[in-house]
Amino acid sequence: MVNNMKNDNARMPFYYVILLLFIGLTACEQKTDTAIAKEKDRLTLWAHAGQAAERQILNQQITTYNQKHKIKIKANFIPERTYNAQVQAAAVAGDLPCVLELDGPYLFNYIWQGHLQAIDALVSKEILDDLLPSILEQGRYNDKLFGVGVFDSGLGIFTRSSVLKKHGIRVPDGPADAWDDQEFENILKTLSTQDKDGAVLDLKLNYPSEWFTYAFSPAVRSAGGDLIDRTSYQSAKNFLNGAPAIELMSIFQNWFRQGYIDSNVDDNAFLSGKAVLSWAGHWEFERYSKTFGDDLIVVPLPDFGHGTKTGQGSWLWSMTRQCQQVDAVKSFFEFILSPEQVLAMANANGAVPARKQAIAKSTHYQTSGALNLFVQQLTYGYAIPRPKTPAYPVITTSFSQAFQDIRNGAKVKQALDKAVADIDNDIKQNKGYQTNVLTNK
Amino acid sequence: MPLNFKSNVIKFVRYSLIISATAIYLVPILYMLLGSFKPDDHVLSGIFNKLQYVAEHYSLQNFRDVFERVDFKRYLANSLIITGCVVFFGLVVNAMAGYALARFHWQGRKLTLTIILAIMIIPMEATAVPLFYQLSILGLRNTYVVQIIPFIANAFFIVLFYTYFLSLPKELEEAAYMDGASPWRTFLFIVLPNSKPVLASVAILSFLLQWGNYLWPLLMVSDENVRPLSLAISTFYTLPPLQWGDLFAFGVLMVLPVLIVFIVFQKWFVQGVVASSHKA
Amino acid sequence: MIQTLLPKHLVKTRTSVLMMIPAILLLIVFVGEPFILSIILSLTNLRLGSPLPMEFVGLQQYYEIFSDQAFQRAIVNNGIFALCVVPIQTVLALSLALLLNQKMYGRAMFRMLFFMPVIFPLSLVAVIWIIIFAPNPEGLFNDSLNALTLGHWQARDFLHNEYFALPAIMLTSIWQGVGFQMIVFLAALQAIPHQLYEAASIDGAKTWQQFWHITLPQLRYTVAYVVILTTILAFRLFDQVQIMTQGGPSNASTTIMFETVKSAFAQQQVAKAAAMTVVLFVIVLSLTGLQQKISKKVRI
Repeated sequence: MVNNMKNDNARMPFYYVILLLFIGLTACEQKTDTAIAKEKDRLTLWAHAGQAAERQILNQQITTYNQKHKIKIKANFIPERTYNAQVQAAAVAGDLPCVLELDGPYLFNYIWQGHLQAIDALVSKEILDDLLPSILEQGRYNDKLFGVGVFDSGLGIFTRSSVLKKHGIRVPDGPADAWDDQEFENILKTLSTQDKDGAVLDLKLNYPSEWFTYAFSPAVRSAGGDLIDRTSYQSAKNFLNGAPAIELMSIFQNWFRQGYIDSNVDDNAFLSGKAVLSWAGHWEFERYSKTFGDDLIVVPLPDFGHGTKTGQGSWLWSMTRQCQQVDAVKSFFEFILSPEQVLAMANANGAVPARKQAIAKSTHYQTSGALNLFVQQLTYGYAIPRPKTPAYPVITTSFSQAFQDIRNGAKVKQALDKAVADIDNDIKQNKGYQTNVLTNK
Repeated sequence: MPLNFKSNVIKFVRYSLIISATAIYLVPILYMLLGSFKPDDHVLSGIFNKLQYVAEHYSLQNFRDVFERVDFKRYLANSLIITGCVVFFGLVVNAMAGYALARFHWQGRKLTLTIILAIMIIPMEATAVPLFYQLSILGLRNTYVVQIIPFIANAFFIVLFYTYFLSLPKELEEAAYMDGASPWRTFLFIVLPNSKPVLASVAILSFLLQWGNYLWPLLMVSDENVRPLSLAISTFYTLPPLQWGDLFAFGVLMVLPVLIVFIVFQKWFVQGVVASSHKA
Repeated sequence: MIQTLLPKHLVKTRTSVLMMIPAILLLIVFVGEPFILSIILSLTNLRLGSPLPMEFVGLQQYYEIFSDQAFQRAIVNNGIFALCVVPIQTVLALSLALLLNQKMYGRAMFRMLFFMPVIFPLSLVAVIWIIIFAPNPEGLFNDSLNALTLGHWQARDFLHNEYFALPAIMLTSIWQGVGFQMIVFLAALQAIPHQLYEAASIDGAKTWQQFWHITLPQLRYTVAYVVILTTILAFRLFDQVQIMTQGGPSNASTTIMFETVKSAFAQQQVAKAAAMTVVLFVIVLSLTGLQQKISKKVRI
């Protein structure tokens, strides 16, 4: 009996080996991106794989570009959530493409690491003049332009005009007219008493940690504090843990205590009617308006003392240091920054178009459009960029952590002190993030 | 007859316990399975409502979306190649090592065993970053080889083979040696055929570990051509609102190969029972 | 009676060395050497992607992590986690394996069903668990507990409650880990010779006695292996923490590996993370050494 089993079992492994070797050999024929980058008539490009429509448009744009130009773009789409990690890993290994899409606030860290080169020469004056101020604000460092965005983001409070009307709550008619914090507190109280579980405000607590910095640090600014001292970017002391910041975070903590905030576990609190106020970004507009139609309105974030402040910043395009194909990159930038392409992308992902010409043609963002508030915020300085420093990664981690702790009932001063300690410690360890590695091109 | 009745009642109780325990145990899986057939906005929003099992709007659309949004076939092929190689070569290498440790005398055997037990403790995160630096410098990023070779030898599995071989009765091997068989022949044709249960479990576990391996490809693979399925799943993790239906459909598709491996190798478990009862 | 090595006169040393070489080589190159490098790195201030030069700072990283409240809490959490999860999961896995090892209808199907939680990507399953633990009264867990206590349960936000966060993660882990360990036990149960049971039945031994005097002793090595394995995995806890609680609230559910990955990738402090993994290694090594001493039954 043993002999029978011997024959059957002896043969199988060998077949398996042969099969695997065969597969392995055929698989080796694939060319990797790094090999392609060496070819002269190819332009390597990395972009994040975001929402479906966004990706499709970008794909189309690349195809169109390739049809019209001699140099062809070879695009690599990397999943959004792992994008920074993968770019970081590739950067360390020296495997970056020529054109690199980046999430706005991380731009400065990559500049500091020496991976990018300035693109001032690649964007014409005509385009520069037509761009929203916030776009230039986001992409400039030490008076040089390193990144240019095709769209920007909008942040506000979505709500329904019928609900506001029912409770006699006034609708602000612009950023200058925002609710102040006392008024907002009363609004929350009024709405809460009428609500089944008392939770009326959706803060998107289910979002990943970057959201907290993006969505709530402007409020800190509005109260008079900030994430860090923006004159020298060396310390967060007295800015993130000063009296204004502490007061602001205490206000937030109080809202949690009072039960005003919905936990939004299924990301559906506003749509199902459980929450009537939704502190959210432009990307929610389409989903919300499908359900609420014209009843949906967006109002500015509350004014905590120094005027309403809101967030800004989104993906932008940059050029890596080792890239030599300057002309090709220039033609690519000109193409995607043309008004038609900007409008196409903005229509696809619902974001604010970067160019004023495109804004004028956009249904939602033109002067009479539903989302024009976002344009106003970005144009007139109500939108605050996230800190433009290589220390940004640690700043955002520390702030999100502090926010979460405060949300869970930790002592506000302690949580903020810890965040400041972490940030300052990191800056010190990196010798103040002095940038002596800028290339001048 | 009272005796039959009693044993039937016991059987009935036992079966109902098992079935209800299984049902409760699988609630999260059930949600995912059902969710993969529903349109995106119905997946999570209805989850608080117990009546959501009503079969409205079920369709295969999410599965179609998955194939449209990512190059699923490519990523599946990559994962199969990588995982298949790791499992196969792993079985060979780890079984040999486990056998040598269990059956042979040689200098330093005890020391080797202790070291291997110690290596079991080292988490992959501890070795990932140094390896990442070293292998990147060698230019091995974005290849199949770099996703396969580091994972072939595995201390967990060596020890698993070791404990299993220890518990096998020595008689058959001793008889083979008496007949003049070499250690290789004994190992290949006598020990291994009688080790189906452990070979099956290591195959299943090692397939599983490698199939979902995420950190390493994250560091070493940016090229779509060699990207495995585990990285591809993040494509669906865009910023919220997530398309839950698509995400769950992807999860279900990703699980199918493992399920197949499990079912196939489960048969080997059963064969083990049959074989050992034959020994009597 | 445990079988060990073959009689010396039958064995050829050369073969044994050849059999060991591939595994040893691979382990040294891909596990041993990087780990040693990691230890060396823990004595520096290396940061991921930083253009600043790396310097040797001696034991400074260790000083820092031990004075870090988060890390201290992480060690405590891992300890509590191991103490609870190891016995519960092992006992459950063994019970399941025993149950599924008998002749019954649908045995193969049940085996597969209990293995299901292991094969689904944890990132997806964790999302469902997050929803199960939803804070409002209709959330599945709150609702079930309410039904079980006949209406006396007050709805809680488990994942954001400092007392319930870690237990919630424990539950998720046990749920997923049981299937994994069950497979190992199943394989071991198959290795037990049938004759032993047959002989015992003939001698009139009841089921319980058979279990105690045949099954358990035969499983000695495997149980020891599973206990050590579960302990090691308990200290490597990471995924659930990252997805469900992110270490909160206020470090109530953070673990060593979570702090490590946070340091390495979120804060880009590779050297600090390396120090943490060295500490992890030392802790687990001592623990398993202790376990082995206690259960003297495991002979090498």
